[in-house]
Amino acid sequence: MSSSPSLASRLKGRSELGVALLLGAVGVVVLVDAIGLVTPYSKTDPVGPKTIPFVVAGLLLVCAVLLAINVIRGGQGEAEGGEDVDLTHPADWKTVLPLAGVFIANILLIDWAGWVISGTVLFWGSLLALGSRHYVRDGLIAAALSLLTFYGFYLGLGIALPAGLLEGIL
Amino acid sequence: MTIVVGYVPTPEGEAALTQAITEARKASTTLLVINSSKGDAPVDTRYAQEPEMQGIEGRLAAQGIDHVIKQPVRGHDAAAEVLDAAEEHKADLIVIGLRRRTPVGKLIMGSTSQRILLEADCPVLAVKASMAG
Amino acid sequence: MDVFSSLMDGFATALTPMNFLYAVIGVVLGTAVGVLPGLGPAMTVALLLPVTYALEPTSAFIMFAGIYYGGMYGGSTTSILLNTPGESSSVVTAIEGNKMAKAGRAAQALATAAIGSFVAGTIGTALLAVCAPIVVKFAVSLGAPSYMAIMVLALLAVTAVLGSSRLRGFASLGLGLAIGLVGMDAVTGQRRLTFGQPLLADGLDIVVVAVAIFAVGEALWVAAHLRRTPMQIIPVGQPWMGKEDWKRSWKPWLRGTALGFPFGALPAGGAEIPTFLSYITEKRLTKHPEEFGKGAIEGVAGPEAANNAAAAGTLTPMLALGLPTNATAAVMLAAFTSYGIQPGPQLFATEGPLVWALIASLFIGNFLLLIINLPLAPVWAKLLQLPRPYLYAGILFFATLGAYSVNLQAFDLAILLVVGALGFMMRRFGLPVLPLVLGVILGPRLEKQLRQTLQLSAGDPAGLWSEPIAVVIYIIVAVILIWPLLYKLWRRNRPAAAPVSVPVAAPVAAVTRNDGGHATNVPSANVPDRNGPPESKEQP
Repeated sequence: MSSSPSLASRLKGRSELGVALLLGAVGVVVLVDAIGLVTPYSKTDPVGPKTIPFVVAGLLLVCAVLLAINVIRGGQGEAEGGEDVDLTHPADWKTVLPLAGVFIANILLIDWAGWVISGTVLFWGSLLALGSRHYVRDGLIAAALSLLTFYGFYLGLGIALPAGLLEGIL
Repeated sequence: MTIVVGYVPTPEGEAALTQAITEARKASTTLLVINSSKGDAPVDTRYAQEPEMQGIEGRLAAQGIDHVIKQPVRGHDAAAEVLDAAEEHKADLIVIGLRRRTPVGKLIMGSTSQRILLEADCPVLAVKASMAG
Repeated sequence: MDVFSSLMDGFATALTPMNFLYAVIGVVLGTAVGVLPGLGPAMTVALLLPVTYALEPTSAFIMFAGIYYGGMYGGSTTSILLNTPGESSSVVTAIEGNKMAKAGRAAQALATAAIGSFVAGTIGTALLAVCAPIVVKFAVSLGAPSYMAIMVLALLAVTAVLGSSRLRGFASLGLGLAIGLVGMDAVTGQRRLTFGQPLLADGLDIVVVAVAIFAVGEALWVAAHLRRTPMQIIPVGQPWMGKEDWKRSWKPWLRGTALGFPFGALPAGGAEIPTFLSYITEKRLTKHPEEFGKGAIEGVAGPEAANNAAAAGTLTPMLALGLPTNATAAVMLAAFTSYGIQPGPQLFATEGPLVWALIASLFIGNFLLLIINLPLAPVWAKLLQLPRPYLYAGILFFATLGAYSVNLQAFDLAILLVVGALGFMMRRFGLPVLPLVLGVILGPRLEKQLRQTLQLSAGDPAGLWSEPIAVVIYIIVAVILIWPLLYKLWRRNRPAAAPVSVPVAAPVAAVTRNDGGHATNVPSANVPDRNGPPESKEQP
């Protein structure tokens, strides 16, 4: 699915075909998966586990085809606006890709380094990606927020987030 | 010959502007008014709105001062915008308003005036709000 | 037990110190997110779903209800002071509200919006308390086929009616249903769409999906198109109204309420249509027509009341039938599921005290909102000075935290990112997100209902329409589905009435239907989808 936004730059104006492709791909996956299911005949379950997947796959495939036709004939989905959204600019990948990078860093770090460290990295890195330039202040806020949520979840909600590298200190 | 004034819609900013007008008339130079915003918050009270800037424009025109008004929003902080403008227009003088800040506040928020004072290549005239006549 | 005594019990529960505290937290948070651009009640409730692991259900829902109503109040503040309605339901409020503010009457605009919201919210909640049990009584008399028909109707109505492109709505629904399929089949125990991954056997957690779509997808989308300039805000003192303003406001409040509630209660009715209808009504009835377009107080009072009454109306099908019709209700339903509470007509019977405490807390929340909004509007407006990086970094941070705390698995975060990217893509290409979320929530329930129904009829599909009510509902569904086609034919047969010519050889003409400002495209594959209003973020 991340392939369709990057297609945006290459296939100018027709990037929406990527959406149709995605819908088709999901439809095929659902269909193949459903075919692979075993349906033991049973009086108590005449519908079986296959029916709905077939319906869903059909819906997705039909939508994929119709969307492709729609796009080729010049149809276009309307990008979603909002209070803080300025659609006059093209998508700002210099902000989004670093954000995704920080997010992935957090996924890789969280179990090993613990929430306090990975959360700090996540918040600080997101601030950086979004254009904040107060490195020291942001770092302090990020660390404080991660520590607070760690203890808040532990004491308030009874959820023990991983301590990771700081095991024993926290 | 140019004088650059960093303007914000506060008593300090007002004091700086008044002082800058006096200086500009004395030396009969161009006055460059800078009111900038980083543009990172939905609302920035230090970014003057249009009626206010028109008021300033009218005031300067009435006094016959050769002037340029700029409201850059480029993601830079106020100090950078003032210093940029001073360099670009080869300013002879920068006028800024000072506000009281606790040392802690300065540590957390940084100080716009301090950066201008330290990094400017020309004389800097700093005014406090109470000095406005 | 009759409605009144149940409601009194509800008040007793909702007014215990702890629950009252959660109500206060809810309305404060709700107002804050309503004021802040880029945050909405659906996202906030989604971000707070992890608290369901520790809080009692009653406290959690009292808080969520506060957020839901609070978001509405906060949203009107922003649309009046900034003229940037984020939610489609406050578009109409902004028309006159911002004009009033520019004319120096911001205080009165905010006051009539807040008091009108209170009046409409209170009446709407009372209607909810009266109507919901009646709907329940009707619903429990229905058999499985009829109930299933109602679910189909809710799902298809939201998909087909809301949003500017039906085709994209159905694409979104399909994706949601596919996500809902993932996991172990409840009847046969077979694994569907798990790709041999044991972590997927239990299905995708609805909390993770909701957070991904509403928080991560939204934050990434806004980050990609971040507004970089400060907006013009109108400074405001404390809201107040003079005698004349009261005189001009009270009737629009009541009329707005009368329009808003029924539309909110309908599947796919939403808040857009009633706010617009209210605006038109007030414009027609006003004694000051010359003020419309320049800041007429009636044009704020009516739509704002309609908006809040619709919000209360939306809760009727949600509580009585387990059918959400807007994003916030959908996320609240996810919270029910997360508690293992089965939403549906049985909810009033099995979770009576919880439901009544929730309804009572809506009255309390409305009152609290009036108190914190009237004197504090200038303080709320200060929130707008929060730099955007902190706002969006915060959303990502809490989204991660919430999704991770579900199972303490990094795997869920990977799902969060993938589904978040999907949410981003959907916003980019105009696929509405609500059908997807409804598909995830309702899909599995629909399948269960289908299998039960056909089990009763021993596999005979005729069992699906074995009840008269089911037949009626399927006819309604059919009409909704083929309506655009009929309309197109009607247009073609009366070319004089059609402003758009339809060439027979290449039917690439777009026909726009205007039913109360809600432009809907004719959704056939050969029609460009370019002339609807901007896709609504949500209909509170």
